[in-house]
Amino acid sequence: MSETPAPQRAASSPAPSPSPVPAFEPRIVAYVCNWCTYLGADLAGTTRLQYPPNVRIIRLPCTGRIDFNLIVKAFEIGADAVLVSGCHPGDCHYSTGNYHARRRWILFRELLDALGFDLRRVHFTWISAAEAGKWRQVVQEITEQTRKLGPYADLYASRAFTPLPAPSGNGHAFKTFSAEPQLRDHCRKLLAEGAVNVVIGYGACGPLLATKPEHADRLVCNNRCYANLAAYLKRKEVKALGKLAVVVKPCDEKSLVVLENEAQFSRRDIHVIGVACEGVGQPKCAHCTARTPRFADVAFGQPVGPEPPAGPSPNRFAALLAMPPAERMSFWAAEFDRCVKCYACRQVCPLCYCERCIVDRNRPIEIDPAPSPKGVFAWHIARAFHLAGRCIGCGECSRACPAGIDLALLNISLHVAAQKYFGFEAGVDPQADPVIGSYALQDKEDFIR
Amino acid sequence: MSEIILESALRALAAEWLAAGKLVAGPVRVKPDLVLYRSLRSPGELLLDGFLRPANSIKEFLFPKSETLYHYRIQGNSIELLENLANLAPQVLLAARPCDAAALPVLDHVFNWDSPDAFYNRRRAATTIITLACAAHDESCFCTSVGLHPASERGSDALLFALGGDCFEVRPLTDKGRALFNGKTQKSDRSAAPAPGPVKRFDTQQVRAFVTSRFEDPFWQEHSLACLGCGSCAFTCPTCHCFDILDAGPSAGRARVRAWDSCQFPLFTAHASGHNPRPAQPARQRQRILHKFAIYPEKFGETLCTGCGNCSRNCPVGLGVLTLLSEISHG
Repeated sequence: MSETPAPQRAASSPAPSPSPVPAFEPRIVAYVCNWCTYLGADLAGTTRLQYPPNVRIIRLPCTGRIDFNLIVKAFEIGADAVLVSGCHPGDCHYSTGNYHARRRWILFRELLDALGFDLRRVHFTWISAAEAGKWRQVVQEITEQTRKLGPYADLYASRAFTPLPAPSGNGHAFKTFSAEPQLRDHCRKLLAEGAVNVVIGYGACGPLLATKPEHADRLVCNNRCYANLAAYLKRKEVKALGKLAVVVKPCDEKSLVVLENEAQFSRRDIHVIGVACEGVGQPKCAHCTARTPRFADVAFGQPVGPEPPAGPSPNRFAALLAMPPAERMSFWAAEFDRCVKCYACRQVCPLCYCERCIVDRNRPIEIDPAPSPKGVFAWHIARAFHLAGRCIGCGECSRACPAGIDLALLNISLHVAAQKYFGFEAGVDPQADPVIGSYALQDKEDFIR
Repeated sequence: MSEIILESALRALAAEWLAAGKLVAGPVRVKPDLVLYRSLRSPGELLLDGFLRPANSIKEFLFPKSETLYHYRIQGNSIELLENLANLAPQVLLAARPCDAAALPVLDHVFNWDSPDAFYNRRRAATTIITLACAAHDESCFCTSVGLHPASERGSDALLFALGGDCFEVRPLTDKGRALFNGKTQKSDRSAAPAPGPVKRFDTQQVRAFVTSRFEDPFWQEHSLACLGCGSCAFTCPTCHCFDILDAGPSAGRARVRAWDSCQFPLFTAHASGHNPRPAQPARQRQRILHKFAIYPEKFGETLCTGCGNCSRNCPVGLGVLTLLSEISHG
């Protein structure tokens, strides 16, 4: 931390309490930017403005640098409320850091809400170096409000909750898609001619990596082809094989759009084989928005039925949001209690491609790697938020989870928020700027004091 | 003559154990399509039929997914270690599958072969396992290939057989098991016929010969390309027992914790230098098979696999021990 003295706080007058139980004093963690709010707080100190000593200030270079994990971490170590504060729009020392931060908070608040965090304990403000009075006022207000709310006992608490409606079952009969014969012929030809070294496709029991023309007969295309094969594009062992062809359903195809947008590969290097989807059943198809391949190099088959309406099926997500926040958190505490941290959710995700995942970093440990309640919440928050505005809704995380945790609900909260506030849907427009990484001057501000 | 117990009496017994402060765990339907071993809140939760086997294993009641070894307290320059080896409540694992119970003798070897593991042993000593023999199997089951069968007694303190008509035959196998059912059963002339097991899918000797002689073989690359490197196979396996020791800092309660780990993760073997002796998934898949069918058998004379098939059922990409071993034995 810094050498400079922390902004002076007004001395509290510790009147000895007659009661043996000390009155509740909220602990508030304030992450402030170095250039505006920190100086504003400093000014409050040097001008002897009195304000409650409940706030612990942590100075960071810029609100754009404030990792969402820090907000969670503050609650983990016992904060009753968190304040994040930086420069007013247009005043950022680094020009646009606060605009990026604002966009991230818009989405992050939605994720916290879906998890059942008490948003009355998460505060955002713009406070300039001259606004000592505003700093005092904000700290006073937050302290009073938090004092009324009491200690944050609901954090990760397991209490009773109303169960969500069960996902509709997947009892549909086996069905081969019309694309299968053409797909086999095409792949046989590709492998025989040496146009590609491997075709990432589906076999009878799961993904099949065909490397020889005779493997083509083992490729299938039916309503048991659940996996999103784009996940193999990140595997070193697969990339080492040489030129790749990958079979994608229209839903999975969107992950290629995101991956290319993020410069993970060049489309020139990968041959994309699209198959028209006839539906692989619930719960995957609950989030379906496309049945016809749009970006593939070649496409086979006829989609059955009209394109489903845009937007995820609201049932379970709406039921989740209908719960009071504390109940929602209990729902997640019960779900996460089953998490063993096998990381199947991460491994099957085509968009989780970091060389070293944040949970595997240990200098310092950012997320408790043990499957403890805190460690599991922190992990799933990080996983979901790293996919904010990127998740294409393939639902592989939920499908892969051996503990049956419906992780896609978290992704849906961010998907819905990106659509609502920025009109953005991942994997649809290859030219669109990513939601996180861009900003607009008119981004919503109503939650920032 | 055999001993039988009615389902209602069995549930009443479970309620009695719960009331006596015991931890009672068994199969529970947590979602329409998911059954897991969970500690029971009420005996009504216990599932006794209509499922094949839970998607997890009973090892978590003896070797929890995350276990605090000790807490520490720093005061000035001194560090105080606070061990917690207080007595555990006795636990009854009820309606475990034979392939789960059979894993416990296997784990006993590992946790006691050099220095006895106090954390495992204290839970083991507090545990009684009442196994429910299987009446059915699916295409992922292969207990018969590793020397077990749907009514194996290995590792169990008592064995239950569903007789139909809400009735179970009880075969106590140890004093612990007998004590739990003492005076609670009725004499009967009904006796269960063991259910047929799955067809034998491979020969462990042949597998062992293959994996020890074909360490460097394109087979591994070819058959593990589809593996995405998650740990769902290891974490739902009744016998996988690798763990990591973690230091949980102030935010996680100032403790040293041991948590499950898996040989399928790159970090499992990563050296501080950056070198990784198992740099890619084929080497990690090979390790898993090698450990289960060659390394462990060499040391302890049995297989580190009970044929439960959890690895196959839980694998998001349709792999698992059985897939690889069937390939080995067919050529």
